[in-house]
Amino acid sequence: MENNFYLIGVGGQGVIRLGQIIADYGLKKGERVKFFKEVGMAQRGGPVHCEVRIGNVFGSRVPPLSSDITVVMELSEGLKSLEFIKPGGTVILNRKRIYPIDMMTQPEKYPQDEEITRLFEEANAKIIWIDAGKIASEAGLPIAENIVLLGALSLISSFDKEFVINILKKHIPRELDKNIAAFYAGYKTAEGIVK
Amino acid sequence: MKKLLTGNEAVAEGVIESGAEVVCGYPGTPSTEVILTLLPQKEELGIHIEWSTNEKVAFEIASGAAWAGKRTLVTMKMSGVNVAADSLASVAYSGCIGGLVVFVADDPGVSAGMPEEDSRYYAKSMVVPMLDLASQQECLDYVKLAFEISEKIGGPVFLRSTTDISHVASDVGIGKKLKLEKREAHFERDIAKYTKAGAAWCMAQHQDALNRLAEASKISDSYITESGIKVNETHFEDGSKQGVIYAGAVEGNFKEALKKYNLKISWLKIGMVHPLPEERIKKFLEKADRVLILEELDPLVEAEVIRVAYLLNKKAKILGKFDKTLSPVGSYSFKKIKNALEVLLKTKLESGQDSKILERTKELEVKRPTSFCIGCPHRGTYFALNKAIKNLKYKKDEIIITGDIGCTILGMNKPFESCWTEVAMGASIGLAQGFKWAGIKKPVIATIGDSTFFHAGIPPLINAVYQKVPLTVIILDNGWTAMTGFEENPGTINLNGATDTKRVDIVEICQGCGIEDIQIIDPYQSEKATAAIAKAIEYPGVSVIVSRRECALQVKRRKVKFPQRKVNIDKCTGCRICLSSLACPAMVFHPKDANRKAYMEITSACFGCGLCEFTCPTGAIEVIKDGK
Repeated sequence: MENNFYLIGVGGQGVIRLGQIIADYGLKKGERVKFFKEVGMAQRGGPVHCEVRIGNVFGSRVPPLSSDITVVMELSEGLKSLEFIKPGGTVILNRKRIYPIDMMTQPEKYPQDEEITRLFEEANAKIIWIDAGKIASEAGLPIAENIVLLGALSLISSFDKEFVINILKKHIPRELDKNIAAFYAGYKTAEGIVK
Repeated sequence: MKKLLTGNEAVAEGVIESGAEVVCGYPGTPSTEVILTLLPQKEELGIHIEWSTNEKVAFEIASGAAWAGKRTLVTMKMSGVNVAADSLASVAYSGCIGGLVVFVADDPGVSAGMPEEDSRYYAKSMVVPMLDLASQQECLDYVKLAFEISEKIGGPVFLRSTTDISHVASDVGIGKKLKLEKREAHFERDIAKYTKAGAAWCMAQHQDALNRLAEASKISDSYITESGIKVNETHFEDGSKQGVIYAGAVEGNFKEALKKYNLKISWLKIGMVHPLPEERIKKFLEKADRVLILEELDPLVEAEVIRVAYLLNKKAKILGKFDKTLSPVGSYSFKKIKNALEVLLKTKLESGQDSKILERTKELEVKRPTSFCIGCPHRGTYFALNKAIKNLKYKKDEIIITGDIGCTILGMNKPFESCWTEVAMGASIGLAQGFKWAGIKKPVIATIGDSTFFHAGIPPLINAVYQKVPLTVIILDNGWTAMTGFEENPGTINLNGATDTKRVDIVEICQGCGIEDIQIIDPYQSEKATAAIAKAIEYPGVSVIVSRRECALQVKRRKVKFPQRKVNIDKCTGCRICLSSLACPAMVFHPKDANRKAYMEITSACFGCGLCEFTCPTGAIEVIKDGK
């Protein structure tokens, strides 16, 4: 067994926390785990990505064409994951654009949704669009976008739900109820899409 | 029991299990988390752990404790070895009594901007054995091994990591805590061993160090660690004339490729990179005639393999850096290793993602330049500095500003574009003097952070005073060694958790160095700060500005709140001067559309530094009072 997760976004979105939870899940399941994180210098706004590998793995990085599930928390950053997507693998695209300062005045320079979709399609990825911000707000915790996406990822990876919730309790003790609500909301949304 | 630990956390666990009693170092990516992990357990462990003022000091403390018989570990990044090198070389010749382990983390691929230096050369030049880490489990196991070797040979041992080991987490099997006999501190006077006063003694020490190297090699070559890792390991594949010799972090991607492509080739893993296991290399070369050397950075192992092949009179094809199969630049991704294996095997293993997709991805890339955090006091200092230069009627591109290591160097980026240079800890002040002696007539300014100043900024400041060099030094004192993750330094007032240390004041240091023009400014009080900097630049001697405000992220941790700002949309003209002057990540610009004019928004992420108020030409930025 070998499961590769590629998670990408910008600082402040909880990309690393999402990776930590997935890595911890693998460890608690008794599997070998590799968890790589790339954190830029800026606390907020800089590119951030992490990779989790679970199972019979050696290297810390997902090899090209090997990511089973890719979570794109910020759309333009997500393009960097294209090299690693496994043909037939799933990409969860969060409807979120975060403009760097010099692009605020020229939003037309930001890649269009259609172009992003087309590139992922060309890479033979199964695409799941999720508006995690909206779902998280409805769950009462707007910043829990990463947990909404964890829910979606858990459905697609057939993770043991109760097991994930137990790990959530350890990683995010604050506002636990709302986080659990966000998790289930993401899980159900993905269920609706996959059906 | 297994835990998910990064390499550095595993080193920390190894330190605990080894019974080390003194641990010190200076922060530096990617080495910092060893001490960060240990510090909160200081009381519980009952051992001494500290952030020292610089790596040389840290190493000297560790050496003293090791000479008194204790197990000690010192941590630093590769640049730190340059700082500690003088003392390191000397202690390496003298040897030690208690185990002395020097943990150094190199940064191939440059996760934090500094030269991609290969610290393995130090092991050679200083006659010190070096273990090279290839996995997170080894991080734990090799700390114990390094202490064992150090005490058996009676000399220091290098434990070398790289970013891909130190910063990656993996499942690590926790070991047994060693039960060492209690050691009383004791130091025996032996000037032939502990001083360098005499050629005969120095040369005898040199010979001793060489003897220790040979012994270290003997111990490690057949060593199997607690969790079953062989330090040096040879694997012969029947009938295979092709082989790989590797050392360090490349192991993961190499083994991944063996599995993925089901490759049957011989390999030799080298865990002790100095001295190299010559006999083992010989035996390997006797059976292989096409050999690929995998090691990040410089071709040290490769050169040795070529030397051994020459001694054997063996016409083997050695692939690596000398023949340009691989490059010394950057870390070794899976792809690079796969490509090198394709050269070794003369066969294509796999083609990657469609190149058209990758090209388009590059074209669409959205650049996200790094800037100061929200509320960062350095933003205020550079804003005031640029304004002061303008007010003095200088052009921005005629005033040289030498920058230094740490968060303060971000003043080189947009929107400030202030700093011109970044060299090494404390180097801004020395470089600035060089520019003056070269004949630069216009003012020269050095900017440096508090921790960087303590580390290596004081000697060049004394030099400037002594040589009477007209110069302005701006010390951006945010009270923390912030860039590497908020470590304490001698100037820290730690309101987040008291420690038993005595604070040293930068202003008093400057006075003691003979600085006659010192001004303390608050970077949030922009107008006063600008006037003070302008005055300092015009001062005919060495002037010092201490720009003092605590790191905003640390203030935020204590939940201290400043009044946030908002934009009065009626007054806002959408000119974006605030955004272009400060690049504050709490600001969002809303372009004009069919229903509204263009305007700025200050989001709830606002820290309340208030700098933006000083930028707005129409006074549209207001303090939020009572939540309105």
